[in-house]
Order: sequence, then structure tokens, then C-alpha cells
Amino acid sequence: MAIHVPVLLIVILLGASYSVPLLDRYRKNLAFPLTIASLSAVFVFSLYLIFLVGRKGPFFYHLGGWPPPWGIELSVDFLAVYMLMVLSSIGLLVMIYGAKDLRHELKKEVLSWYYTLYLLLIGSMMGIALTNDLFNMFVFIEISAIASCGIISIKEDRRCLEASIKYLILSVLGSGCVLLAVAMIYMVTGNLNFVYIAAELPAALALYPFNILIALSLFIVGLGVKSALFPLHVWLPDAHSSAPSPSSAVLSGLVIKIYAFALIKLLFRVFPPQIYAAVPVLDIILFLSVLAVLVGSIFAMVQDDIKRMLAYSSIAQIGYVFMGIGLFGDRALSGGLLHIFNHAMMKSMLFMAAGLIIYATGIRRIKDLKGIGVRMPWTMGAFTVGALSMVGIPGTSGFISKWYLALGALDLGRPFYVAIILLSSLLNGIYYFPIVIDAFFGTKVEPRSEHRDVPALMLVPVLILAAGVVIFGFFPGPLLNLIEKAMTR
Amino acid sequence: MEIVLKLLNNYYYFVAMVLFVIGFHTMLTHSNLIKKIIGMNIMDTSIFLFFVAIGYVRGGRAPIIQEGAGYQYINPLPSALILTGIVVAVSVTAYALSLISKLYAHYGTVDADEIALIRAREER
Amino acid sequence: METVIYNFLPIWAVMFPIFMSVIILITSRRSEKLRNGLSVATAVVTFLSIAAMYPVIMSGKVIVFTLFDILPGLGITVRVDILSFCLAAISSFIWMLVSVYSIDYMSHEHGGNRYFPIFIFTLGSTLGIFMAGDFFTLFIFFELMSLISYVLVIHEETREALRAGYKYLIMTIIGGLALFFAIILTFELAGTVSLSEGTLITVPSTLAFLAFIAFLIGFGMKAGMFPLHVWLPDAHPVAPSPASALLSGIMLKTGAYGLLRVIFHVFNVSVIKEARWDLLLGVIAVITILLGSAVAITQFDLKRRLAYSSIGQMGYIILGMALLNEKALVGDVFHIFSHAIMKSTLFLAAGAIIWKTGLRNINDLHGIGKKMPVTMGAFTLAALAMIGIPPLNGFLSKWTLSLGALDAGAPVYVVVLLVSSLLNGLYYLPIIIAAFFGGEEHGEGVKIKVSEASYKMIIPVAILGIGCLMFGLMPNNIAFELSLKAASFLFNHAMP
Repeated sequence: MAIHVPVLLIVILLGASYSVPLLDRYRKNLAFPLTIASLSAVFVFSLYLIFLVGRKGPFFYHLGGWPPPWGIELSVDFLAVYMLMVLSSIGLLVMIYGAKDLRHELKKEVLSWYYTLYLLLIGSMMGIALTNDLFNMFVFIEISAIASCGIISIKEDRRCLEASIKYLILSVLGSGCVLLAVAMIYMVTGNLNFVYIAAELPAALALYPFNILIALSLFIVGLGVKSALFPLHVWLPDAHSSAPSPSSAVLSGLVIKIYAFALIKLLFRVFPPQIYAAVPVLDIILFLSVLAVLVGSIFAMVQDDIKRMLAYSSIAQIGYVFMGIGLFGDRALSGGLLHIFNHAMMKSMLFMAAGLIIYATGIRRIKDLKGIGVRMPWTMGAFTVGALSMVGIPGTSGFISKWYLALGALDLGRPFYVAIILLSSLLNGIYYFPIVIDAFFGTKVEPRSEHRDVPALMLVPVLILAAGVVIFGFFPGPLLNLIEKAMTR
Repeated sequence: MEIVLKLLNNYYYFVAMVLFVIGFHTMLTHSNLIKKIIGMNIMDTSIFLFFVAIGYVRGGRAPIIQEGAGYQYINPLPSALILTGIVVAVSVTAYALSLISKLYAHYGTVDADEIALIRAREER
Repeated sequence: METVIYNFLPIWAVMFPIFMSVIILITSRRSEKLRNGLSVATAVVTFLSIAAMYPVIMSGKVIVFTLFDILPGLGITVRVDILSFCLAAISSFIWMLVSVYSIDYMSHEHGGNRYFPIFIFTLGSTLGIFMAGDFFTLFIFFELMSLISYVLVIHEETREALRAGYKYLIMTIIGGLALFFAIILTFELAGTVSLSEGTLITVPSTLAFLAFIAFLIGFGMKAGMFPLHVWLPDAHPVAPSPASALLSGIMLKTGAYGLLRVIFHVFNVSVIKEARWDLLLGVIAVITILLGSAVAITQFDLKRRLAYSSIGQMGYIILGMALLNEKALVGDVFHIFSHAIMKSTLFLAAGAIIWKTGLRNINDLHGIGKKMPVTMGAFTLAALAMIGIPPLNGFLSKWTLSLGALDAGAPVYVVVLLVSSLLNGLYYLPIIIAAFFGGEEHGEGVKIKVSEASYKMIIPVAILGIGCLMFGLMPNNIAFELSLKAASFLFNHAMP
């Protein structure tokens, strides 16, 4: 039984996702508990996998008992379990938050469909994290693309529909690139399994360098579109800001990260390192990440919708992850990986906090948020923690990832990138702090009549994440441990 | 001369690439959403073509193995994969079309630029 | 090497106020009296715990404790040597007095429930800076203090305060990022940022210079050093007076303290001399001194004038570092003491006057000395000390600094000190003269009937005012002793 846990994660989620609407026909009130139960089970199993891998070391799981190169293989290593942990924990918390929020934002009939899509999304992301097979990865990428468009368009207002078609088209474009890249790789290696490809590629590189280079650049473009790397980010602000708040939280927190994670896996596990010496792929990624970090922040500054601002901030933050990839050093990549988790915590918390504000008051414009801290101290307190973490104040988890990224840059003798990180921190401060300040100080507010009470169930996940940001800011040890092991493999 | 010969020998790759670029271009440049979806399908099909072509062995037969017959078989794996790929492409197309029909209901047009214009006007 | 003692006391002194601030926040809703009492009690207990370290520290030992590691090799560590003790002691002492002062002051103001927890929290984080065992810990507490004191700056929540606060916040973030850069460079170059490891960077290089500049920006920002002082004259006057006293009296010193640590721990005297960075410091110090003093003359808001005077005085402290000899360093550390006492006296006295009369403009304060003799008496003592009139503490520090300048063979600095004393005289004496000798008939004097502020406010002011006198009258006072020891400790540490 224990050995089947990796596939169980995906099976539980996919199974639950299809049984939710069935169940919903007969027992209306069971759909949500089933969703939460399956997410919790997955969370527990992920923790168990961390424990298992920590004790026994990484292992492979062969789907249906077919060994590679024929069968699909799941690779349960430290990198994968790290990502599983990120996905399952944030996924669970966001869904708990969504319990009430969705009822407010969505029509009643589509509620159970939302759960289906959500579970599909989390399940497919887990698949991407676990799989060791290129084509399998492509399938999971497609599933998550449709599911993530689905959780935007399910709101069915005009903005969401437009945003999701934009997202869908660019996303499909990205998937097309990925599939073509898969074909290219298969063409020269005859394999789809990561391990086998990695063994074949150095020899193939001498014979067919162009195929491999085209494949590499297609992967970067394809996954770059999906993870909103700077010039390919155009779909993100609309999609993340118009979606229902739980969707925004999970899209900004997890979905864009999983593609960056897939890219990390490909670049570091599959492609041979000598390819990076020959062509400046990493330098291009680095250049784009610098642009992303700066331009994302600058765009965020001029937004007047709070969710739009958060969305632009995501573009900047994903730049950090790519900077970690582009610097291509141990510590830099650790920083990038760490930032995947840290940003997942921060951004999903910020989106949920914004969602809480919208839920309680209906206010979306940043200008109107004056004095909101007095009315909603807990929510804005969490928002403040998130803002501090975004700027990288020590004692928050954002600081740790920045520290590692900066160290990584210095390791390679590139203090310029440290300066970029610092500059972007300052920019973050410039657009996050005024919100916090205006929320708490400077205005006398009388409680408004249309103010709705915030249910505790919605507040709890936000506070858990806020606490997580602080705790992992002071005790990042376990995470670093995991990442360090993932790096050495 | 040599390169032309090579191209001619591998014309199916060449055609696939041309189709891919056509599809890509259509998706990016046309503002009509339906045309975008058509472009998407052209692009997907080109990749399928490419993928299947990889598995083709000249003179090979369908891989239904007959013991001792000594036939050459084509590689069945790409074809099998592409079946999955087609399924994915169909579902994406269906989803995209449903979205477009909803958009049409809301905006009365399927042109992305016009929709953007309408939205810009609304927000002002 | 130094004798090391492991003891929990410093951690306690840092964590206790931080913990109590939460308690105070909770109790403040119930009862104002309890809140005030707890705040004062916390400040007193903290001061006592610091004072309890006195015998150990005086015997030349160093207290060290590691709480936990955050990153491998980087954690929350404390380390109390004689310099740390000097600053921790004077801060907690002044904090204690200000906490008493605040009780009545805040009874007039809004938001006391916010003020007191923040006030106590700031105490903890400030002590954390002074007693940090490495630059990483120092950085954490530095950021904590800087951000938290933002709330003190904008306490009044007027538009003016908010604008000043925003400026302060942005400058703080820039300073914090510069520090981050400096610390990470040091960590990369030296492999550690601990204060117990001796000199961290022994060879001047481009990266080392970058680190030095970044440190200078980071700490200099807080210390109100010349091109980075722009936030100070806005932020200090708008805060409530007790907070201004702490901002000017203590929190500026965190910057100076950081610079001292940089000069003597990250680098050492010979590295700095070799690289000629002392010249840079010296030039900055001279500009800071003259600029601060000169601009103060043009200010007619009482608190603003005091704030500019702070810039000038911080210039002295930076000058003391630039001279890089032991005598100057004695003067330097002693001036940290002196300025802390003088400036908090001045701000508290100004606060008492504003609290009573509501007047901030200097021209309106004619004859105030007759109505509030104790307050103005203390103000006069401190102001005279600022100018450097002999039996007061300001004189002693300037004298020692001048001796150090002569030792360093740079008499030009003595001239600068004299000029600035003259300027100090130009802006302090008119206030005093008008207060005591100006009658109401001259100009628009204090027409309102006022008397002394309440005893809870006068006593701290009086104690501090007398402190100015005592520390000057007796050259062998405890502060001077500590300064001597601190200077020799730093020099022996830096050049073993």
C-alpha cells in the first residue's frame, strides 16, 4: 500500500473531481466535504511522502507495473515531494477559504463544477511535479491549462470570459510549443523518460545540435508563456484579477509556479549542462527575469485595482524564480525554489486577504481602501505581513529567499543582480506600503452599513499563511534541508 | 543542392514546420477569435503530423506483429501518443468554442479587438 | 582574546519588552492605568536587567548567547561587550524616564493604546540592535526598530506627519536594503558576519569598498549623516515629544553604533587608514556638523530646530570615528552618552512646553522661563551643554574629541568643532535669553496663564538636566569611565 502513495495522490484527486458532480446530484451538502476530505488526504500523503523519501531516499514508481522505457514512471525525489508539499498545503488552505467565498461569488449550480475543476487542477499539478515522462507531463500541462481557464471562466461575467479566452489561447500556444519540443526530443533520443533522455542527450547533442536547441528554446518559450515570464505575461493581469478570489490565489500562488518548476526539472535533470556553455540560454532567462522583476513592479505601481496590482506583482515575483534558474548556481537555484514556496504562501494569502476585503465591503479600488485596517484588523494584519515579506524584511520568509538569491548571485561574482533584487524590493515597498499605511493610519472611519461580517472559516487560512510566512522566516531550516537534498540528488 | 535534397527527403518535417508557423501566426495575429481557434488547430495538427512522421519507417507496416514474417514495422508509440494529443486538442477546441459563444452572447462580436474596445469604453 | 560568558540575561532584556508589548496591547483595552503601570514597570525591569550586567562587563568579559539559528551559520545571537553595554544602559535608562514622562503626555493625545505597546516594543528592538552578536541579528532588529518606530513618527496622523512618515519609511527601506547588500557582501567575503571573529575583511578591494559604502549608507541613513539626513528634520518634530526624544536621543545612535561596529569589526583601523576611507568619513562629518548647525539657525519651530541640531551633533560622532584614534574614540562614545542625555532633555522640555501652551514657534516663547522654571532650567542646562560651556557634559566630550583631533594631527577638525559651537550658541542662546529675560511686552509672549507641567513630566526632565551637569562636573563619572574602557576595548580588539 505504502508504495502506491505517489499515484494515489493523483488518483484521489482525479477520482474525487469526477465524483463531486455525481454526488452533488443526490446529496447536495456532501460535495464540499468530499473536496476538503480529498485535499486533506492528499496533504497527509504528501507529508508522508516527505517522511518516506527522507528515510528511504528517492524512488521511482512504475505506473501499472510497466517499467521504463515502456511505462510511465513517477519520480518521487526530494524535488518532487517539496513541490507536492507546496501544492497540497496551499491547495487545501485556499479551498477552505473558498468554502464561503465561492458561495458568494458563484452561482449555486456551478459550485460543484468548481470543485471538479479545482481538484483537477491540483491533481494535474501534482502530476507535473511527480511525472518522469515527457509526454505525460504534456498531458498534465494540458489538463491544468484547461482547468485553470475553467476556474476563471466559471464566474461567467464578461471580464472573466474575456480573460479566460485570452489565457486559453496563449496557454494553448505554450502547450503547442511544449508538444513540439517533446517531439523534437523524442526524434533524437527515441525516449520519453527523463532519465533515459538525460543519458542519451549528450551523445545526441553532437549529432543533432539544432533539434536539441530548438527543443530547449521551445520548452523555455512554452513554459515561459504559462508561467508569465516577462514579455509573455500579457494574459496574466486580466486572468488573475478577474477570477474569483480563490482562483486568483491558486493561480498566482501555484499554477504559474508549477510551470517554472517543470522548467527547472527539465533544465537541470534532462538537458546536459554543456549545452548552457555553448548557447546563452541562461543569460537570456536572466535578462528576461531582470526585466520581469523591474517592469512587473513598475506596472504594479500604477494599478488602481488591488487584485490587478497583486497580479502584476506576481509577474515580478516569478522573475525571482527565473532569476534563480538563470543564475544556475546551487544557492541561487535554492533561492528560486524557496521562493516558489514563499511566494505561494505570500501571494495566495494576499489574494485571499484582498478577497476578504471584497467579500466584506465590495471595495476593489486601492484608493477606497483607506481605513480598512481599522474595520478589518486581522485581514489587514495578514496583508501587512505579506507586504513586509514581499519587501523582504528580515523575519519574514521573503527575506530568506532573497538572501539565498543574492548569495547565489554573489557566488557567481555578479553583484549587479543583488542590486536588481534590492531595487525591486524597494519598488515593492513603494506600492505595498502605502496600502498598509492608508489602511491603518490617517483616516477616521465610521463603520459602514454595508460591511458584512467575515466568517472565521475564511479568515483562518489567511492567518495560518500569515503565521507560516513569519515562522518560515525565522525557521526555514526544514525547508532548506529539503531543498538542499533536492539539489544534490 | 544538398540541403534541398535533404529537405525533399524529409518533406513531411518541412511541411509540418510550415503548418506550425502558419498556425502560430494565425493565432497571434488574427483578432477574430474563431480564426484564432482555427489557427490553434492547424498548429496542433502540424505537431501531430510531425510526431507521427517521426515514428514512420519507410516501407514499414502497421505494427501488428506476425511471428516470423520478417516485416519492418513503424514505431507505434508516436501514433499512440498522438491519439492522446488529439483528444486533448479536441477538448481544448470545444472549450474554446463554448467560451467564444458565451462571449458572443455578452458582446455581440467574436472579434478580440472589438471586445477590448467595448470594455475600454465601459470602463471609462 | 576576550573572556566569554554564556548568559541568558541579554536575551531576556531584549525579549522581555517585546513580549510585554503584547501584554500591554491586550491590557490596554481594559484599563489605562494598568497599561501605563505595566509600561513603566517593563522599562524599569529592563533597565535593571541591563544594569545587572555591569559587574561582569566591567571586569572586561563578554556575554554571549545564541538563541537559535535561522540559516546555517546565521542566527539570533547576542553578544554584550563594553560598547554594547554603554549604549544599552543609556538607552534603557532614558527609556525608563521617558516612559514615566509619557504617561501624562499621552493622556492628552489620542491613540495611547497604540503608543505604549509600540513604545515598549521599540525598546526591545533597540536593545536587540545594541546587543546583537552578529550583523545578521543586528540587521533583523535594525529593521524591526526602524519599521516599528514608523508608527511613533506618524502618531499624530496629521497630513504633515503622514508625509514625513512616508519619507521616513522609504528612506528606511533604502537604508535597510543597503545594509542587506553590505551584510551579504561581508558574508560572501568573510564567510561569517559575527562580531566575535575579529576583523572580517582585512584586504581592501572593490567589493570591500562596496560593502563599506553600503554600510555607510545603511547606518548613515539612520544616523542622519549628511546627504541622507533629509528624512530626519521632518520625522523627528512631527512625532509626539517623548517619541522625538527617543528618536533623536537613542535611535539615531543605532546608526552610529553600527558604524562603530563596521569600523572596528568588519574592517579595522589599519584597513580603513590604508584605504583612506577615514578621509571620506571626515569630509562627511564636517559637512554634517556645519550643515546641521547652520540650518538649525534658520528654523523657528522649536522641535525642528532641535532636530537639525541633532544632525549637527551626529556629525560630531561620525567625526570621532573618522579620527581613528583612541582619544577621539573616548570622546566619541562619551558624546553618544552626552547627546543622548542632552537631546532627550531638550525634546522632553520642549514637549512639556508644547503640552502646556500649545506653542511651537520660538518667537512665541518669550517669558516662558518664568512660568515654567524647572522645565526651562533643564532646557537651559542641556542647551548650554550643547554649546559646550565648561562644566557641562557637552564640553567634556568636545574637549576629548578635540584632543583626539590634535592627536590625529588634524587641527582643522578642532576649528570645525569651534565654529559649530559658535553656531550652536547662535541658535540656542536666543531661546534661553528670550525665555528668561524676554517679557510678555516684547512681541507676542506667552499670554496664556501657564504653570509647570505635572510632576510626572517634570521629574524626568529635571533628572536628565541634572545629568548634563553631573556628567560634566565630575570628569571621573561612570559614563566617562565606560567610554574609556569601551575605547580601549575596541582598539585592543581591532589591533591585537
